[in-house]
Amino acid sequence: MNSGLVSTSHLLLGLLSTGTMHGYELKRAHDTRLPQARPLAFGQVYATLNRLLRDGLVAPAGQERLAGPERTAYTLTEQGRAALDQWLSSVEPPMPHVNSPLFTKVVVALLVADVDRARAYLVAQRRAHTERLRELTALKTAPSATVDDVVAADYAIAHLDADLRWLHTTLERVADWHREVHS
Amino acid sequence: MSPSTLTSLALAGNRTDAARVALTALSALLATLAGLAALTVLAIEKPPGDQWQRSEQYTSELLSQPGLRGGTAFALVLLTIPVLALAGQSARLGAPSRDRRLAALRLAGATPGQVSRIAMLETGFASLLGALAGLACYLGGRELLHRPNADGLLALPTDVLPPVSAMAAVVLGLPVLAAAATALLLRRVVTTPLGVVRRAGRTGSPRPWPALLIGLGVLAAAMIDQIQWALRGASLELLALAALLGIFGAVMGVIFGVGWISHLAGRTLHRFARRPAALLAARRLTDDPWASSRTFAALLAALVIAGGAAAFRAAFQFQAQREQEQNELAGYGGEASYNSFYLDTMNLVDLAVAVAVAIAAAGLFVTLVEGIVSRRRAYAALVATGVPRSTIGTSIVWQMLAPVVPAVLIALGVGYAIGRLLTGEFGRSGPQPGVPLGQLALQGAGATVAVLFVVGLGVLFLRANTAVAELRAT
Amino acid sequence: MTQLQARGLVKSYGPTPALRGITLDIDEGEIVAVTGPSGCGKSTLLHCLAGIIRPDAGEVSWRGHRLDTWSEAARSRLRRTEFGVLFQFGQLVPELTAAENVALPLLLAGTGRRAARTAALTWLTRLGVAECADVRPGEMSGGQQQRCATARALVTEPRVLFADEPTGALDTLSGEQVLTQLVRVAKEQHTSVVLVTHEPRIAAYADREVILRDGMIDHTGLGLDAPLAGGSR
Repeated sequence: MNSGLVSTSHLLLGLLSTGTMHGYELKRAHDTRLPQARPLAFGQVYATLNRLLRDGLVAPAGQERLAGPERTAYTLTEQGRAALDQWLSSVEPPMPHVNSPLFTKVVVALLVADVDRARAYLVAQRRAHTERLRELTALKTAPSATVDDVVAADYAIAHLDADLRWLHTTLERVADWHREVHS
Repeated sequence: MSPSTLTSLALAGNRTDAARVALTALSALLATLAGLAALTVLAIEKPPGDQWQRSEQYTSELLSQPGLRGGTAFALVLLTIPVLALAGQSARLGAPSRDRRLAALRLAGATPGQVSRIAMLETGFASLLGALAGLACYLGGRELLHRPNADGLLALPTDVLPPVSAMAAVVLGLPVLAAAATALLLRRVVTTPLGVVRRAGRTGSPRPWPALLIGLGVLAAAMIDQIQWALRGASLELLALAALLGIFGAVMGVIFGVGWISHLAGRTLHRFARRPAALLAARRLTDDPWASSRTFAALLAALVIAGGAAAFRAAFQFQAQREQEQNELAGYGGEASYNSFYLDTMNLVDLAVAVAVAIAAAGLFVTLVEGIVSRRRAYAALVATGVPRSTIGTSIVWQMLAPVVPAVLIALGVGYAIGRLLTGEFGRSGPQPGVPLGQLALQGAGATVAVLFVVGLGVLFLRANTAVAELRAT
Repeated sequence: MTQLQARGLVKSYGPTPALRGITLDIDEGEIVAVTGPSGCGKSTLLHCLAGIIRPDAGEVSWRGHRLDTWSEAARSRLRRTEFGVLFQFGQLVPELTAAENVALPLLLAGTGRRAARTAALTWLTRLGVAECADVRPGEMSGGQQQRCATARALVTEPRVLFADEPTGALDTLSGEQVLTQLVRVAKEQHTSVVLVTHEPRIAAYADREVILRDGMIDHTGLGLDAPLAGGSR
């Protein structure tokens, strides 16, 4: 099973646990709760809902008609609540594999690329990270920021900060390694 | 822990620690000198004869008269009081950083006993060095000052030596005493490895109750005749004890009273302060009013004695003058023999008071520098934000002078009152000795100038302690 | 308009060079982060720019006036009126209440007690620590102390605020609160800020980042002098 799909279905289950919602409301709730995440496509919402319906985790809870197409509202079943509880109580494996694209790219750059290109790449990457960090900080400190915005920005800031520290440490380490070898 | 480890840990430390060790040694030296001098006076042998037989080899009555030697020795021992005050103030020098270091040793696994031993070794060793230096000074001084005058008379009892056992007791007892005092003071550092939490809670503001002690002391002096009458039949020592207790009570009253004076001065200053310097001083005074008590204790004790001495001198002079007038009336010419002895004695007392004030000023200096050093980070930050050093210096001057001026006046006044009452009345209706305003003013001004001088000297340390280096993050 | 200008700043402590030729402009209202590893000369640069110390060589200009040639008294006056300074910790006078600490620079400038207190209370409120006004530093949390110190640094409405690791002694959330308020107020007042920090996430509060390495400005931000290729082989 694809882990991304699993977390989308659990996410929808979680959102539904706050009350009955139809597809469009679910998408909106998702986008406000996780402001910095990739927006959820409608198609994905409906596909996931259908799968949850098939597995008996959600049930239709009546229909409403509002100046448009008919909409089905969904509610969480007992089974769905159990599935959500089980998911929430299972611990995420903390980084079982180191497989970030940044990590891979830096290692490969240090390994194969010629000096100038590696240098150019690292400087550009650092700049991009710093830029994004500043953007997120501005977003977070804006007077209009909601708690959801701040929480999401914090998560991203912590990761970018970690990336940057790792990048600096790695370069220091490589420089040290060079000094030792060449002296 | 091996002795060498113990020694190296005891001697580890920075310049402040070195200064503390040096001052501890100096206090020990002075205390040893005073103790040995007292022992020497007591060691003067009474020549055979009746109980009034004088030791004729000395120029000073204080040494040749057997009845006065006890008093002389006692006065010398009294001189150790400001010395001990100096020692106490030196012990606080760099104490926070030393306490932190000892706490770090505890965190590293040292037992309370080991930490105590390290600190005791530092103090004990410094005191021993000081005491030995004192002994050397004493022995050297004996040789140097052994100069009989033309009549073969000696100014000092350089011809006698106290018993070796007594000398050893002073030289060895002092370091042991100092080490024991250190162990006592370190109780709280030793019990927790997390360091001392100073100022655990603010105690309530001081109240003027110490005035009662002063009142009792003055009352005792005023009623000395009645007490004498009540104690008739009892020995003279008991009367002296009553008088001494009265004086002691008054001295303690003055010292504790300074806490209240400081607090009051701080509050008043705070109400009227326009400039930041006065504001800083005011807050510091109300924050820890007892600091002034500790700082000025030795100085004020010396000044109470000085005030009393001024009263005695005035009385003696008055008496001498009256005697001379009567002699002239009776047709005898020439000097009355009366005055020279008592006035000489008063000169010696004044000298002792001056020495005590000097020692107290040294203690004051130590406390002042300690205060500056312990606040250096806040001071450096103020200087960095553009507060001129002169403002900080002015605040320190305020902080010292605001309580010390009234305290000096009170100390001299109380001392004079007690002295005046003890010298008794000179006839119901006859002329009375005038208030020696000149001498009292001189003493008060002298003490204030000494404080100002010390503050000026201490403020010189501001520059070194407000360097930007104090602001470095780590 | 350029507020502060540094040209070829050199400063050594004994034989150790701390700055080796720094050239830098700081514009009005600009927030500049000075970052770099420990010992790169960040704090020394800040001290030179703020006129707390004099550089051995090079110039510091404040609105076109050579600041490094001024007397200590003149620089003190400048720091008191045009600059605000904020350190990591321990800068408040322990015996004074928060309001008195904040009022101190105004009193030095000759403001009356009442007016100074009013201004101090306003600033404590702006930094969200009005409740600490009559409390002494020893009874406040680290974050509250630092916000009071920020209020003290800003009470004279300085043109430049120098902050040396202002959040270094604080936990993440308290540090964030201090910085958020600081940046907000600086933007409102159009105050320039020189923010020394070694943390990327703190530097991200600035408009621009200047990275120092061994006393020089590192334009790459990564100090890529050492050969890279084959590094991990």
